[in-house]
Amino acid sequence: MKPIIKSENIIKKYRMGSQVVPVLKGIDLNIYPGETLCILGTSGSGKTTFLNLAAGLERPTKGRIIIEGYNLNKISEKNMAAFRRKYIGFVFQLYNLLPALTALENAVLPLIFEGVPSREREKKGRELLKQMGLGNRLRHKPGELSGGQRQRVSIARALINNPRIIFADEPTGNLDSKTTVEILKLLTDTVRENGQTMLLVTHDDKVAGYADRIVHMVDGNIYNGNAN
Amino acid sequence: MRKRDIVLMAYNNLWRRKARTVLTCLGVLIGTASIIVMLSIGIGFKQTMERDMARWGSLNIIRIHPGMSYDEYGNPSGEEHRLNDDTVSELKNIPGVVAVSPAFQVHGEARLGRKNGWLDIVGVDLDTLEDLEFSVSDGRLPTAEERFTIVAGSQVINNFWDERASRMGGFHQGPPPEQDPSELLNQRISVSIFNQSNPEKRKNYNFMVVGILDEKNMEHAWQVFGSLDDIKRIHEFMVKESSGSGAASSGGMITMSRVVPMEKSVSSKRRSKMEDTRNDYNFILVRTKDVAQTKKVSAELRERGYNAYSMADSLEGIEKISKTIQAVLGGIGSITLFVAFIGITNTMIMSIYERTREIGIMKVIGASFADVKALFLAEASLIGLIGGALGLAFSYLVSAIINEITAEYMQSGMMGAGPPGNISVIPVWLAAFAVVFAILIGLGSGLYPANRAIKLSPIVAIRNE
Ligand SMILES: Nc1ncnc2c1ncn2[C@@H]1O[C@H](COP(=O)(O)OP(=O)(O)OP(=O)(O)O)[C@@H](O)[C@H]1O
Ligand SMILES: [Mg+2]
Repeated sequence: MKPIIKSENIIKKYRMGSQVVPVLKGIDLNIYPGETLCILGTSGSGKTTFLNLAAGLERPTKGRIIIEGYNLNKISEKNMAAFRRKYIGFVFQLYNLLPALTALENAVLPLIFEGVPSREREKKGRELLKQMGLGNRLRHKPGELSGGQRQRVSIARALINNPRIIFADEPTGNLDSKTTVEILKLLTDTVRENGQTMLLVTHDDKVAGYADRIVHMVDGNIYNGNAN
Repeated sequence: MRKRDIVLMAYNNLWRRKARTVLTCLGVLIGTASIIVMLSIGIGFKQTMERDMARWGSLNIIRIHPGMSYDEYGNPSGEEHRLNDDTVSELKNIPGVVAVSPAFQVHGEARLGRKNGWLDIVGVDLDTLEDLEFSVSDGRLPTAEERFTIVAGSQVINNFWDERASRMGGFHQGPPPEQDPSELLNQRISVSIFNQSNPEKRKNYNFMVVGILDEKNMEHAWQVFGSLDDIKRIHEFMVKESSGSGAASSGGMITMSRVVPMEKSVSSKRRSKMEDTRNDYNFILVRTKDVAQTKKVSAELRERGYNAYSMADSLEGIEKISKTIQAVLGGIGSITLFVAFIGITNTMIMSIYERTREIGIMKVIGASFADVKALFLAEASLIGLIGGALGLAFSYLVSAIINEITAEYMQSGMMGAGPPGNISVIPVWLAAFAVVFAILIGLGSGLYPANRAIKLSPIVAIRNE
């Protein structure tokens, strides 16, 4: 099968003053359509950095990432937003909702940027939030929601324009164990139902258990299967 | 992103920070209002001056008197022209000229019922009266078919006084009381005209007043106007050399009429060479299409050597003054608006710092450069629009107050000049211009912050700290 995301020898170094810090040391990774892949690794191993590169939020020092046949290095900064809007949905550890907007408005934000008329996007947003179990929290601002509820809104936002790929960076990092289970079930079930591909990043073995496949990241390197 | 969504989002973002938005808008308000009010004073000044000038003579009419035109160094320009029928037809052919009327002017002692006085009579081509902007407040204009009918200026009645009444009343305290101009209407005035070279010779003429001129043009207020033919005959009698006395008249009585130069009557040889100009017109009135034409034609006539003058000639000076006033006042207003400009920029930059994270999130989620830019520009322009619109409303208020205050001062200062003009005038174009300008100021001040927002890196913005 052809991978939907292909990472070819990705190297990322940061310059800290006179020092150069190598964070990713040559990542080769294939992610296949429809699978939920988990990158498991300790804090500081470079997981978020890899995710940012894969989403085109940052440029690699070397190597390339190909998504749906597009070489991200060839996509300009200007067109990257449209690319992300089309192919990638994001779920963050800290939700990253806009505090001034309601749950509904936050959920449909990608559609606003896409230029979808308000009636159409509200209908979509309402349905999706209902599906996320937030049918009675549509008009609440993030500040008026619990952590689990906020993450549901953020999942709705990631799914609203039905992207082929979902990136989830520690989506349950701030939630208690009961809510973690709820959210992970919701997320993985929905993604599977929609046939979407998900890249899940975590340091938590239990979270990794929800994925179809696990790779380990240690100190800027990827290991398949058991790492050590 | 849809325009509606951009504006709504921008509006909501401003609304979130009410205090700051209000203060920034206040800056724009003051800036816009100061520009509008300052310019409105310049405009009001110009309009008032133009209206006042129009009262002292139409801006569309040029008067040509005998004599030469001199340039600013006192050198004659062009050649001297006689004021005769050739001249009249020459004038009629100048482009921009609507009507031409030659005029004779005579002057004599007059009687109106029991009252004595004097009369300054001008004969014009009665067919051109309307073109020459004559209009009556009472009665009608005389027509060319009639003889010895006249229309009288609004102040002519004040040339008459009742001798018996003043004798009985003893000494007058202050100026004589104003008389009602309509007293003249349908009255007969009899005038005695003296021959200039022999004051023993005199003739009486009777005139019928058929109309009273309105007060629009004060230049005509002290004269009466009748048919050119009638006055021409009177004028001929007035300047005719009396056979008895050979001496030339000093002609002092009628200042406007052409004085026969001494040598003409002295040297018969030269007289044959020099033309007899005694029966030339006293002056010629030229009506042009509009003020612009008046200025042009008036200058052209002077170049040709005519002793031409129009009220419109002085307009240029007034326009210059008014432009200077507008420039100075507008400059002061601009400084205020510039401060407002900096205010908006500052507000928007602050708002970027505060919203770094938000901007980052929007970018990650799929907001394009254009979206981010549009959002910030919309916010800045909205501040401009709100501040500008409120500033405009505020300007109308200030303008009204200024006019109210100055009207009180002026009423006591200007005598009988009718309602004083507004010193501050806000034409529609200024109102529209100011609001559009305020929006552009907003837009302009948002450019730099918007470009900064675009350059914000999304990961820096969303890093969990
Ligand atoms: N912009 C940067 N400049 C310099 N160093 C950076 C930068 N971003 C990340 N790093 C370094 O790269 C390493 C990996 O960071 P990264 O955020 O990818 O870790 P992570 O695996 O996501 O950890 P965590 O599980 O704690 O989120 C860290 O040592 C970090 O200090
Ligand atoms: Mg991380």
